[in-house]
Amino acid sequence: MSDVNVSYLAIGPEVLLTLGAVVVLMVDVFRKPSPRVHAWLAALTLVLAGIAVGFQWSAATTDGPSLSFAGMVTTDTFGAYAGFVLLGVAALGLASAWGMIVELGRRGAEGVVLVFMAAAGFMVMATAVNLVLIFVGLEIASMSLYVLAGITRKTLQADEAALKYFLLGSFASAVFIYGAALTFAGSGSLSVYDIHQFFASYVVLKQNVLLVGMALLVVGVAFKVSAAPFHMWAPDAYQGSPAGIVGFMVAAAKVGAFAALARILVYGFSAFSHEWTTGLSLLSAISIVVGMLLAVVQTDIRRMLAYSSVAHAGFILSALTAGGGGVPAMWFYVAVYAVQVIGAFTVVAAVAGPSGGASPLSDYTGLAERSPLLAGSLAFFMIAMSGVPLTSGFIAKFGAFTFAWLAGFQWLVILAVVASVAGFFFYLRVIVLMYMHDPVPVEAPGAVTGGFEAVGAVRWVLIITVAITLVLGIIPGPLLDVARQAFPF
Amino acid sequence: MDFPILTVLILLPFAAAIIVALLPSRRKELFLPVGIALSFLPVALAVYLFFVFKTGEAGFQFVESVPWYAPWGISWHVGVDGISLLMIVLTGILMPISLAASTSISKRMKQFVVFNLILEGGLMGVFLSLDMFMFFVFFEVILIPMYFIIGVWGSERRIYAAVKFFLFTALGSALMLAGIIAMALMYAHQNGGIISFDYLGWLTLQMPLHTEMWLFAAFAIAFAIKVPMFPFHTWLPDAHVEAPTAGSVMLAGVLLKMGTYGLLRFNLGLFPHATLKFVPVMAVLAVIGIVYGAAVAIVQPNLKKLVAYSSVSHLGFIVLGIFALTSQGLEGGVVQMFNHGVTTGALFLLVGMIYERRHTKEISEFGGIQKVMPIFAGFFLFTAFASIGLPSLSGFVGEFLILMGSFLTLKWYAIIAASGVILAAVYLLWAYERVFTGPITKPENEKLLDLDAREKTLLVVLAALMLLIGLYPKIALDKIGPSTEAVLDRIQATTTYQPPAPGRLADVLGGIGGE
Repeated sequence: MSDVNVSYLAIGPEVLLTLGAVVVLMVDVFRKPSPRVHAWLAALTLVLAGIAVGFQWSAATTDGPSLSFAGMVTTDTFGAYAGFVLLGVAALGLASAWGMIVELGRRGAEGVVLVFMAAAGFMVMATAVNLVLIFVGLEIASMSLYVLAGITRKTLQADEAALKYFLLGSFASAVFIYGAALTFAGSGSLSVYDIHQFFASYVVLKQNVLLVGMALLVVGVAFKVSAAPFHMWAPDAYQGSPAGIVGFMVAAAKVGAFAALARILVYGFSAFSHEWTTGLSLLSAISIVVGMLLAVVQTDIRRMLAYSSVAHAGFILSALTAGGGGVPAMWFYVAVYAVQVIGAFTVVAAVAGPSGGASPLSDYTGLAERSPLLAGSLAFFMIAMSGVPLTSGFIAKFGAFTFAWLAGFQWLVILAVVASVAGFFFYLRVIVLMYMHDPVPVEAPGAVTGGFEAVGAVRWVLIITVAITLVLGIIPGPLLDVARQAFPF
Repeated sequence: MDFPILTVLILLPFAAAIIVALLPSRRKELFLPVGIALSFLPVALAVYLFFVFKTGEAGFQFVESVPWYAPWGISWHVGVDGISLLMIVLTGILMPISLAASTSISKRMKQFVVFNLILEGGLMGVFLSLDMFMFFVFFEVILIPMYFIIGVWGSERRIYAAVKFFLFTALGSALMLAGIIAMALMYAHQNGGIISFDYLGWLTLQMPLHTEMWLFAAFAIAFAIKVPMFPFHTWLPDAHVEAPTAGSVMLAGVLLKMGTYGLLRFNLGLFPHATLKFVPVMAVLAVIGIVYGAAVAIVQPNLKKLVAYSSVSHLGFIVLGIFALTSQGLEGGVVQMFNHGVTTGALFLLVGMIYERRHTKEISEFGGIQKVMPIFAGFFLFTAFASIGLPSLSGFVGEFLILMGSFLTLKWYAIIAASGVILAAVYLLWAYERVFTGPITKPENEKLLDLDAREKTLLVVLAALMLLIGLYPKIALDKIGPSTEAVLDRIQATTTYQPPAPGRLADVLGGIGGE
């Protein structure tokens, strides 16, 4: 512990992202450049950070996982996988939100910076092995997301979303840190490795403090992944925040928070695996049922996607009920869901306007006639999220269910497959509106009738996300292999 | 043999779909002809397959197996046997016909052709898969194109029908997915941790009876919804009435057969003990379907709904034949799957043709139109006879074998089921009488044009098939027999089941191939 052991590789991606953020801000202050310059700087930063993550991956695969900074940070395939996904999510998210960033004008650079900071924070969450450092990463990321939620300052709705997100999110952070404190009280350490060691070397007679601490840690993270019953903030935050950035907010939070959850539970609390797999199975079941049922009655596509994200958090949790064995399935699910949700919100942003507010489902009536690319992409994402084969969504669900079944949670699998059918109902409703209804006549008051152009970055985001979702649905092997390697403990 | 004919059969329609999708959007006149032309390739291949298929072999032929994702034990494993062979041919034949019957589609022709071709590829995949993961993938993928075909190009209540179709079938397959996962993990448990979705591997599984019965139920519900068996049939009339002609033809012609095919291949194949336990349940539901479907068909005022309910009745026969567990019943069931596809496909084509002329399917809107449309009337009567089971036409072969086979083991069920044949004559001939005979009552009907060359060609092909199977069933039965015998062999080998004396072809002929 006394050995500090500085490793720049371990924090390289985060440092590069932060540097990139500083450079973007400085260039913005001194040169007042066009958004194009920001785009190039952002791309350069992401590529450099990506290379750093690549080095982390290769170091971890050749030398095995290593600890640095006095046992605070680890360099392993697990963290590197999260880094890859987060950088991809950041790139897609920025491209998808580019319309909003351009629209922000002088404050556009802030959008780029906040996305970088959020990504860096979640990467810290994924690579940290100390509960306090995980908390620091969580806070960096969360703060950035709160600000992003209210960045347009235009609508009351966005302010409400940001405030609600902030208040509930802070509460969740407090719960998390209290859990860390109780864990420290019970085990005498904040390091996930030391906690693991503690269980291995002592017979713990009074487990209650540790159990409560673990439960509070789980609750804190469950807030971030919007698992029910800790999901109340999600529909409002998704509905009010600028449409272009919601996809990133959802996807990045899922990656970072699930990484922390898996590391804390699967490694740190492996001795309690019976307790937490049972707990997660309940959390998973509640999320799936609540998410699916409440999504059915929504009239706003963003609220619908919010509840669907609650359900997906439940599906991902079902993979973790298998303990460590389920981690690859969790990783696969998280990655493909991140891509789908960004793609879906890209369409929402194109229809609602990049910083637009509410997105009532009626806006989508007859979209197939007006904007075939947008309608086709959204339809495809709906099909993928509902878990139809030949999309990555099916493989992800299949993997999660297989591991849950293997772990003995048959009831959860049966509940989940039946709930998936309920899910078809609301996913299909979007397709029904887009494809099977004729466009609303122009005279209808307040109706959104025009066609929407998918231009520039948006077009590319759609093409890339659709392609990834389709290809991983047909050839899932490569990513599954990587996900299997991304489980070193 | 090196040519991967089955893989090509599955991928060809998908490739055709991509080609049509890539056609320039402004060349609207090209989509349908190109689609039809491309859909001839699978037919040619399927017919070629039919003739190179080795008669007298029970096992799977032209087997190909490539790992899809080895750690999960999923593979691209295809093969064809006597049970799936005719389904492949049927799928191939019906696709160009239903496309060629779709000239009246007025909107988004490109998407229509693309979805139809995807549907064809999916169907080929369902019938050729020997890997349960792959089977499930295709089984489920088919929902999407069919959902769009009904929902976009259907008539007034199309959305309700499309969603109902989707949710019903998705619910069934969701439970089957749980069953498939359970089976794969059971395989891993019994085979040193190696997970596998291989159908042939699953045949070796040992399981307690109650597990087998649960799994049987999980699979059977999925297939029973697809067939559809009473009481899961309510989606069918809605879907049929609202679907465009091509959708109805493919739905009745091939999609429903996925259910009976699944029952035969997977329920009988994988769960022999549970099959014996479930025979009474399945037989009761089948007979209810036969009588109820026919009775409801009689009173339908809508011609298309009448044909839809007749499918419920006919599919009941097929299920009864399968669960009779005799050579005749199984053979009859499989050949009847083909026959029903041809005759009901033709009936839906005919209903579609008259609908295009009069924009109504109500029987009361017609009357006496054989005077203005004699050729149409002739085809309708011919097809109706084939559907009823007039000797020398295809329906007779299937229904005769089924009734003979089920009489041996399910005597009373067969006796009640036989009434379905009479009821079929009632609803079809009565419909014929009301639509075609007598004086022309409505002035709109006086100017109806008879069939044109395109329509005649489509119907002649199907009529020829009805005649062929009716006069020379050996061409089909020889290919089917060994494979259905193998199913029975397996049931007899793993259980104490003994069919009554003439219940096996072997009993009659003194050994398989003893002719």
